[in-house]
Amino acid sequence: MLEFKGLTKQFNSTIAVKPATLAIPDGQMVGIIGRSGAGKSTLLRMINRLNEPSGGQMLFQGRDITALKGRELRQWRNECAMVFQQFNLVGRLNVITNVMSGRLFHHGFASSMLGIFTAKERAFAIRALDRLGMAHVALQQTDTLSGGQMQRVAIARALVQEPRIMLADEPIASLDPLNAKVVMDALRAINREDGLTVICNLHTLDTARQYCDRIIGMQDGVIVFDGTPGELTDKAAREIYGAEAEEAFSEAMTSTALRPKPAAQPEARVVN
Amino acid sequence: MASVTTNGPQNGADRDPVTLFEGHRAQMIRDRMVVNITLVVLFLAFLAWSVWISRFTPDRLATGIPRIFEYFGTVIPALQWDVMFDARNEAGRFPAGSLGYWYNDFWKYLRLIWETILMALTATLLGTGLAVVLSFLAARNCTPYPWMGAAARRFLEFCRGVPEILFALILVFAVGIGPLAGVLAITIHATGALGKLFSEVNENASMRPVDGIKAVGGSWFEQMRYGILPQVLPNFTSYALWRFEINVRASAVVGFVGAGGIGAELSHTISFYSDDRVTAVLILIVLTVTMIDLLSERLRHALIGKENMK
Amino acid sequence: MSTLAFAAVTDADIAALRKRNPQAFSDPFATTLKVLSWAGIILYLAWSLHFFEIGKLLSASDRVWMLLRRMVIWQDMASWQYGNIYKGIAQTVAMAFLGTLLGTIFALGLAFFAARNTMPVGIIRHAVRRVLDVFRGIDSVVWGLVFVRAVGLGPLAGVLAIWISDMGNLAKLYSEAIENIDRKQVEGVRATGADTGRIIRYGYLPQILPVFISLSLYSFESSTRSATILGLVGAGGIGMIIIERFRAGLFDQVAFVVLNVLVVIAVIDWGSGLIRKRFIGERGH
Repeated sequence: MLEFKGLTKQFNSTIAVKPATLAIPDGQMVGIIGRSGAGKSTLLRMINRLNEPSGGQMLFQGRDITALKGRELRQWRNECAMVFQQFNLVGRLNVITNVMSGRLFHHGFASSMLGIFTAKERAFAIRALDRLGMAHVALQQTDTLSGGQMQRVAIARALVQEPRIMLADEPIASLDPLNAKVVMDALRAINREDGLTVICNLHTLDTARQYCDRIIGMQDGVIVFDGTPGELTDKAAREIYGAEAEEAFSEAMTSTALRPKPAAQPEARVVN
Repeated sequence: MASVTTNGPQNGADRDPVTLFEGHRAQMIRDRMVVNITLVVLFLAFLAWSVWISRFTPDRLATGIPRIFEYFGTVIPALQWDVMFDARNEAGRFPAGSLGYWYNDFWKYLRLIWETILMALTATLLGTGLAVVLSFLAARNCTPYPWMGAAARRFLEFCRGVPEILFALILVFAVGIGPLAGVLAITIHATGALGKLFSEVNENASMRPVDGIKAVGGSWFEQMRYGILPQVLPNFTSYALWRFEINVRASAVVGFVGAGGIGAELSHTISFYSDDRVTAVLILIVLTVTMIDLLSERLRHALIGKENMK
Repeated sequence: MSTLAFAAVTDADIAALRKRNPQAFSDPFATTLKVLSWAGIILYLAWSLHFFEIGKLLSASDRVWMLLRRMVIWQDMASWQYGNIYKGIAQTVAMAFLGTLLGTIFALGLAFFAARNTMPVGIIRHAVRRVLDVFRGIDSVVWGLVFVRAVGLGPLAGVLAIWISDMGNLAKLYSEAIENIDRKQVEGVRATGADTGRIIRYGYLPQILPVFISLSLYSFESSTRSATILGLVGAGGIGMIIIERFRAGLFDQVAFVVLNVLVVIAVIDWGSGLIRKRFIGERGH
């Protein structure tokens, strides 16, 4: 169980996340939706403390994770893996080294500085890559891969961490529809088969509806919706997205559903 | 210059766009003239001051220049074609005018040049290692604590601000005459120069991989080792090779203050003999420096070429 | 496919995976190469430090501390003859300025003989380049020593040394700038029927002048640095004061002089950066 108690984030004078209180039970797949700038990313990055909360508390299995420092903090980051929008892989290293870097927390200083990984770690990394259908590129330099392949490598890196929670910050925002579907399917498989909690920022409604057990809507740093996909009616969605609703809905078409885009309406021309 | 009179704006035609433009243009030219004249005056004043303070007067130059030619006349080897390639004679000496006579101490010079190159190589390796570590502390985006970054940058500034030969002078006093003082002096200076370049490369690296490593629970060392180092390694190598070229020149000179290498021999020959031994040593140094430049340039191009292929 | 915990990976699993993906496991050849090259570097360093008698550093440590202490603790500051010090620094700047100016003037002429597009005769071009290589290849301190022998102690030798090494450096850089110019503009001037002098004046100069000025300013900065040490061999400037006081064991004064020189060099760097930005930047576009 991951609990937020009045978690806040303030950047200088602007408040990115207003006091948020939430409880996420283990094994749930949660989608956070909202306009860009609504505070989704900040909320997610506070969970593994890439962004420091300005106030409030986070508890995981009853343990306070807002106060962790040093090695304990790194251990927590190791327990909650993160997948990024831009993959955040090391482009000039090969794929398998990138995946094995997920085990760095378990390394001593010397072996990590010298880049020495054991055969067992290699085997584990290949297994993780294989699960995502990427074992055949294990030795390629990572920046030669396509976006969809890189995101799958990034998920493999997250898997070798053996995490208890997986965070995904807009994992499909930089991908084409086909790759977006592959990545979302992989995240759901991880959630269903491994029983991992998956918390995922999404900017498309239909993806959230299709994949998540629970949807959280954010607007201007406030959680305005929290319920099942069934409860997320068009009316509720319009409230989350506010004035930009139409744009967000049409953006939703570019996501995982693989539905053909409706033919563009000819723009009305103003005739003088 | 445009044919414009200054009374243009005053007469009734001041609304005419051409007149306005020309007036504006004349004003601009006048402003620029003022700046230019000020600059020229400043430049001439600085020149006059320099001539006065360094007593660089024409008569000194006039008496000095003939002496330069005189001096170069004495250090040019008097090679004679008929005995040029002669071997040692019965007395075990080379005949005057032969190459062997000119380069009588060839093997001694060669040993000293070898020592010079080794000094430069050791100093480059040590300096590169120290610079890599310090550059991560000094780069604004990498430093673990801002105060540590500021301290590292000041330290690097000091190291590269003081010339090698000055460090060498002090170190010779501290550790004694010999190549060790030279190696240490060049190492300190190279650390400063490379540390600055490396930290600039680090500042231009992408921070995304660092975030990725941070998110897997990597320590600061692991973030640098896996997040930054792979990105910057080719640049580091190229800069280190370039520094090696500079260090070879430096290690040929630190001997002037007793810090090892060919410099001591060169200083000795120049100060005590004005004969062909001066040119003998100088030619060897120029050849060595040129050869190492060419070699390192080739290596650097190969490195960069390999990078572009990927 | 279900997951497997890291701890549950058995040797049999590793063997099976190694068989399926042999290349993904460490390549013995690459590993050996890597280990050998690192071992080579470390062995070389160990050997060379031994060769250079690193032990002397350890045995001299109390001497080093004494030296550092005497550099930091400044005594009898009233008797430091500041007039001499600042006159020396001024002389250093003046030497650098005159040397760079003369080097610039001569390099302007030589550069056109060393550039491929202005000197079609290969023999002359190569001869000029080799001579320039000699000027550049010999450090300015060596030139300083040579000129001290030729014209005697004092700033004249220093100016000559900077002149000759700047001439070599600048002529090479200038000739590269000339080789990198835009051909079309030169062609345009040639098409008007201009003679060689006019082609250089109207076709080349407008393009290369900003680059030249910028290079000369950089050269002035680096010459100020080299001028400070020319005095160590007797070629005038602050270096002579540094070495005099160093030999007399006045280490606190040496530290003070060096700090002053660092400040002056920083000011010159800053000033020349300002000039470059203000004037070359404007002329550049």
